[in-house]
Amino acid sequence: CSRLHTKPSISPTLLLSNMYQRPDMITPGVDVHGQPIDPRKMQEHFEDFYEDLFEELNKYGEIESLNVCDNLADHMVGNVYVQFREEEQASNALKNLTGRFYAGRPIIVDFSPVTDFREATCR
Amino acid sequence: RSPSKSKRISGFDMAPPNTALLPGATDAAGQVPGTNPAIPGLFSNMF
Repeated sequence: CSRLHTKPSISPTLLLSNMYQRPDMITPGVDVHGQPIDPRKMQEHFEDFYEDLFEELNKYGEIESLNVCDNLADHMVGNVYVQFREEEQASNALKNLTGRFYAGRPIIVDFSPVTDFREATCR
Repeated sequence: RSPSKSKRISGFDMAPPNTALLPGATDAAGQVPGTNPAIPGLFSNMF
């Protein structure tokens, strides 16, 4: 994959780049202080993130699909894909999220060409 | 999961720590230093 993806000027789907940060992002299963992390804590951390995200995005339109990449490789890591029912809802969300912060980090938001996540493999 | 009545604060709009917003970062490039430009000729006869 060249990673040079097209960025459509309008789409029902938004990409929030690198938004999710796993607590064990440095070493799998271990936190930044070198302590092992309880898998339940990991799950909870993820669910809190998902909940924050859903509640916020739900303000801007009907969410068709909300996918969070929680992989550890550098490719797509922490990317969030949110598909709204309508393009204007995505556009509204984009407008409202641009320039804001999540957990101390800027939110990077763009339209994404993905409309079917089963087909969304990167070649 | 229990319904989020006592929900923790959302991570949205959690600004970065102040270190990222130190004066150096906010100083606009090319900003004029604090001295006012003297009106030409105003002090020329002072001494």
